Amino acid sequence: MPDDRYFEREIETMPRTRLASLQEERILDLVPYVYERSSLVRKAWEQAKVKPADINSLADFTERAPFITKDDIRRFRDQAGDPFGGLLCTDYADVTTVFSTSGTTGDATFYGHAWDRWHPFWAATARDLWGIGVRPGDYVLGSGFKMRGQLYHADQMCGAIPVLVDTGIGGWATALDAIRRYRPAYAQLTGLAMVELDHLSRHNDMNELFSCFKGAAFAGEPLGARMREQLKRWGVEVYMWTSAGDVTGAFECGQHDGCHAWEDTVLLEAIDPSGTAAVADGELGELVATSLDNPITPMVRFRSDDIIRMTRQPCGCGRTHARFWPVGRKGDETIVAGRSFVPMDIWRALEAVPETATALFQLVRPAREIDELRVRVGYDPDMTTSVAEVRDRVCEAISAAVGVQPVLELLPEPELLARGRGGKLPRVVKA
Amino acid sequence: MTLASTTAAAASIPRSRLWGIGRYYVDDTPVDFEIGWDDWERDTAWARAMLADHGIGPGSGLVIVGGMPESPWFDPFETAARELGAPYSIGEVYPFEAFRTGMYVHRLPITMIFGINRAIAEALGDELADVVAQVGVIVARPDAHPVLQDAGARPFTVTRIGPALAVECPDRAGAHLNGAEWIVTEEDGRLFITSAGSRAHRASRAALGIRGSVSAGPCGCGRTGQRVTVSPSQGV
Repeated sequence: MPDDRYFEREIETMPRTRLASLQEERILDLVPYVYERSSLVRKAWEQAKVKPADINSLADFTERAPFITKDDIRRFRDQAGDPFGGLLCTDYADVTTVFSTSGTTGDATFYGHAWDRWHPFWAATARDLWGIGVRPGDYVLGSGFKMRGQLYHADQMCGAIPVLVDTGIGGWATALDAIRRYRPAYAQLTGLAMVELDHLSRHNDMNELFSCFKGAAFAGEPLGARMREQLKRWGVEVYMWTSAGDVTGAFECGQHDGCHAWEDTVLLEAIDPSGTAAVADGELGELVATSLDNPITPMVRFRSDDIIRMTRQPCGCGRTHARFWPVGRKGDETIVAGRSFVPMDIWRALEAVPETATALFQLVRPAREIDELRVRVGYDPDMTTSVAEVRDRVCEAISAAVGVQPVLELLPEPELLARGRGGKLPRVVKA
Repeated sequence: MTLASTTAAAASIPRSRLWGIGRYYVDDTPVDFEIGWDDWERDTAWARAMLADHGIGPGSGLVIVGGMPESPWFDPFETAARELGAPYSIGEVYPFEAFRTGMYVHRLPITMIFGINRAIAEALGDELADVVAQVGVIVARPDAHPVLQDAGARPFTVTRIGPALAVECPDRAGAHLNGAEWIVTEEDGRLFITSAGSRAHRASRAALGIRGSVSAGPCGCGRTGQRVTVSPSQGV
């Protein structure tokens, strides 16, 4: 039963030895199940000459089970004509919901679940919301997007009441009215929402508006320094969250010291991004996820392309499950004329120019190594009197940040926002 | 397992007073409405019957096109699909998300698209004709009808009528309202709504800002309640 701190104290603070035993038990159930049913997993295991009988412990699994990448899933899907890319372990008729990844970094892939009352992807999120302080009777502002399903299930599981007003693109002006009326305890924010809130802050007392909030979650992309500072000024405690390898969500707790991955639902590993060995706690590694509670499309050693730092040290909040810090996407590093940089370098440069301070941009990059730095940048038309003059300052800022003169495509923010997908703007695009 | 343990934890605390709160607009003025858990269960039962009439059952694939703030209207249909054993996917209502609706249709055995709006239909562009050709039943918002018809579809209607949802049955005689919950009246072509059941949201002849017509009498599907018709420019 939930108590004053934890939604499931026994599970959230479980000693790591017990957690490892639980994971081993689930892995040993999963391996023969998935080998028999998942065409992609069986193919990968046959190619690696590994059989379920070879896996008798968690250590066997992390040493011997082959990896699967998103490109493997796409390739299998296209070659075999299997929409699930060989991941589906049941008949299609046994699936309750089929959702898809955002598609911001490539062709979206499917994942399925079977469920009765609460969507499994969001069930463990109730622990995070409870930790943030969401309680029975609280109002919670609904999130802006539904492509991953009924996120409000987590609100309802906590006994809270979702206020389902428009918090998607263009909806925040009216959402502020709902904040005044219901005084919600919590909301989900995205970078696109922050662009709107930034503009609305010129005519609204954001401190007063957000004074009812116990916290707000932010996901979808990194939170820039300026946005973070702005939320702090408005008195909003921000809880970053991200996806743990498309298996479940992982939220910060009040310690703000990494995102908690609920390890009873996902086996999390940090692997050398260019190799196969595990990296030490705190070292940069690629997030590799295995589903422990999804019999429909379980991921098995799925290489997510997300670069993280991870620790299994207990958190100051008392929870024992692993935490990780997202660092970026594998392959985000770009080399122009021999100079290396990551998208955050451009982000920081744009934040310093008032007309582009919302840092809406796309790095146009047909390949990782390019001869010309092309950047598509959104500017605030209400603040801009001379686009040419903004162009000069943006060029100067980016050039100072990465050491290369950019070729800019300047667009009014609304035009660039329209290129968003799933609540976020793809930051690295091919064209 | 995680789902089982979190579900048990959720069951041990008091259920919220309401399922949620929705919002619709009358001439740009927001009108909020509460949805009780009993309301949601009755809405789901009605949705189940409407989907079943369209042949939805175990293994039927659906794409339900509805945004998060439309959940008070569309969640009962999502829940009904689950209860009927019909796998479903969710397509967003924003034009830039049209690819998702198209992707589900092209890759999955989809038998119904429910809720497609004009923005998605238009954004599908050249792909729309393929989508229409592949899906047997399209239940669309009124504003999407002309675009879908141009692409060769014969869509049925789903439209939000203030806090209610009206859905056409296979007999194509206007979009049914759940008469146990709502009564719509027409005055000079303008629609007004009154709550009929014991709903959390009580409405008495509330203006909807929608022009349309109401008919009653038996429908070929056996229902006897009201049916509404709104023009493509009026329905959402």
